[in-house]
Amino acid sequence: MRGDRVRFVIVLIVLVGALLALFWPSKKGWTSNIRLGLDIKGGARIEYLVEVEEGTENPSDVVDDVWTILRNRLDAAGYTEASVKKVFRENKSYIVVEIPGATDTVQAERLIGSTGVLYFAQVLDEYNGEDPYKVPELSFEAKREKATWLKGRNGKWYLVKKEIMGRKDLVLEAPRIVYARPEVETRTGRYGYKVSFELAKEYVEKFKKITQALYVPEGTYDPKRRLAIVLDNVVQFAGQVVAIITDGKAEITGNFSLEEAKQLAAILRSGALPARLVKTSSGWVAPLLGRDVVDASLKAGIVGLILVLAYMLIYYRTMGIVADLALIYNTILLLGVMAAGKFILTLPGIAGIILTIGTTVDGNVIIYERIKEEMRSGKPVKTSIAAGFDRSLSTILDANITTILTGLILYYFGTGTIKGFAITLIIGVLGSMFVSLVFSRLLLDGLAPLIRSPRVEEAQGGSKR
Amino acid sequence: MRREIDFMGKSKIFITLSLILISVSLVSIFTKGFNFGVEFTGGSEIVVRFENVKITETDIRSAISQISDEFATARIVQVRSVGDPANVLKYSIVVPKTYEPDEKQRVQKELERLLPGKVVSFNEISGTAAEEIKRGTWTAILVALVVLLIYITVRFRFVFGVAAIVALIHDVLITMGFFSIFGYEINVAAVAAFLTLLGYSLNDTIVLSDRIRENMRRYRGRSMINIVNMSINQVLARTINTSLTTFFVVFVLLLFAGSAVKPFAFGMTIGTVVGTYSSLYVVSPIVVKWSK
Repeated sequence: MRGDRVRFVIVLIVLVGALLALFWPSKKGWTSNIRLGLDIKGGARIEYLVEVEEGTENPSDVVDDVWTILRNRLDAAGYTEASVKKVFRENKSYIVVEIPGATDTVQAERLIGSTGVLYFAQVLDEYNGEDPYKVPELSFEAKREKATWLKGRNGKWYLVKKEIMGRKDLVLEAPRIVYARPEVETRTGRYGYKVSFELAKEYVEKFKKITQALYVPEGTYDPKRRLAIVLDNVVQFAGQVVAIITDGKAEITGNFSLEEAKQLAAILRSGALPARLVKTSSGWVAPLLGRDVVDASLKAGIVGLILVLAYMLIYYRTMGIVADLALIYNTILLLGVMAAGKFILTLPGIAGIILTIGTTVDGNVIIYERIKEEMRSGKPVKTSIAAGFDRSLSTILDANITTILTGLILYYFGTGTIKGFAITLIIGVLGSMFVSLVFSRLLLDGLAPLIRSPRVEEAQGGSKR
Repeated sequence: MRREIDFMGKSKIFITLSLILISVSLVSIFTKGFNFGVEFTGGSEIVVRFENVKITETDIRSAISQISDEFATARIVQVRSVGDPANVLKYSIVVPKTYEPDEKQRVQKELERLLPGKVVSFNEISGTAAEEIKRGTWTAILVALVVLLIYITVRFRFVFGVAAIVALIHDVLITMGFFSIFGYEINVAAVAAFLTLLGYSLNDTIVLSDRIRENMRRYRGRSMINIVNMSINQVLARTINTSLTTFFVVFVLLLFAGSAVKPFAFGMTIGTVVGTYSSLYVVSPIVVKWSK
């Protein structure tokens, strides 16, 4: 049987692939290969509607800026494990912040809700290490200079002062920036990207004075005369002023990568959040609660699975073994795909997995009933199996395609955890089709000698099986 | 052929039964209404977990009514999953309001001061978001119905599509009726159950339609009643086996699963029963009547 050899190879490859995806060694053991939703592992989730001012030219740029700013703020506040996602629904943009393990949303909400302030400042000193305020000389230095140690995006600490060269008239806070964009670096000896920006007219004069005060000729270096861009009390960038800017059009060079240049540009554009954020939902689940629910659902899954396995075995005997193996195979396959595709397992997702048990059984039952019908009409087992598969193909396709359609619609219109359910449903149904048509076929052909033919029925007699 | 059960002969009785069930459902839906989750109403749901404390709904209500007016009228429901240890009690407190961060912290502190338990979850959904979820849900259900109708019309015939949709509406109405009667919460998971139910009920209908179509080709000249009856009998074993195994799974889920999944399991449990029944007794009479 050539067909069976091909089937055998495919079944084996798929199984090995699924097992590899599931058990691929990672630091935290195999369970970490499947990503768990916040409703399971516990954590906080806050969703904001981004209200972009009407008439904005590129609303999606504004959303990108908001994203960058929030990402920076969360990083700076130590929420490095938080995820910030842009979501687009019904022509509206949303930002979703998820913080695994967080036990409340209050801190994060405060942080996100605050309107950040961008300012230019002078760098007086820098320091590489832990909190400088714990080092007596450094905190004394800050006091003496009437300056503040702020952390930089690069991890260094900078001693900065808003009053440039100590002059109150040289404070430049929350300037309006006309544009700021990454540009390709064209000068020789340099590579990557630079950021160019232009200040609004009213700030041109002040910026000119600032650059005059901090100017150092190119090629020289004065660590006490650097200009810093500070946002949300984080030093975003610190560098030398190598030209006096008279028209408000400046460049920041530093051999940036495109990503860095984009971020810096976004920070410049963002004096404050460029859009209003309206909290649409927020919530958190304590890890304790999630675990309670998972334990219960797993128990339910295992008990349900055992019941189904037993029922199929009793009702279909030899073919029941095939159905049972198919069920186990499909469960491994589903989990493998979840792990490989980095899909997130949510609570409704667990329900989807459990439902997959139902659809897998259905595919097998449809086929077995056909095979039995064929056998009853007197055909030998092997022929019946082939005919049974041929004739149930269209039924299985129709039945499963409709479920997949429902799944896709759920995925498209659903929010949050429902998407998780739709994903497991779709993967599960696709898997169950594969299992019914390929895996079960292979096993049934192999076990054909063991399958007992039911009594052949007379043409129109009334006998039961 | 095996022993034939005359499904069509009894169709009057079953149509009557369906009509009664639908009427009861509609009455309950319109008089008692639904117990909608926060996703659909907007507001905050706070779950408080108590360990080694015996506490009742009334205790909680009298304690928290001190916080503010919303808490005096809050909806308090005990949530329980079989997996919970015996010494753990959980209550869900729903108020029709969302909070600013500082207010939220205050409410949380107040709750933990007034009650001998710990706040383990605090979910809020703004009114506009709830509206959107509601709209999205209705759209999903309508789009699903239309897409499925088109699919069946293309693959089979329009009459099968109409029969399938009637069966679906029948199933959804009765399941919703059960939700209303038993006061189960309609949350997003319950909606997922409805949509899965659509797919499931349809699954049954399609297997049957498929067989009817095949038999119509094979046995030209036989009466439609005869063909439908024969087809039902041929797929009966499959229908029963599949429904039974799915029922096992969702029923066990209903017994064991935690509160978040419970409405889903409840919907599916009712749905498998009603869905199986409708594909046998609702679809076939329509196909027979229409094809005459």
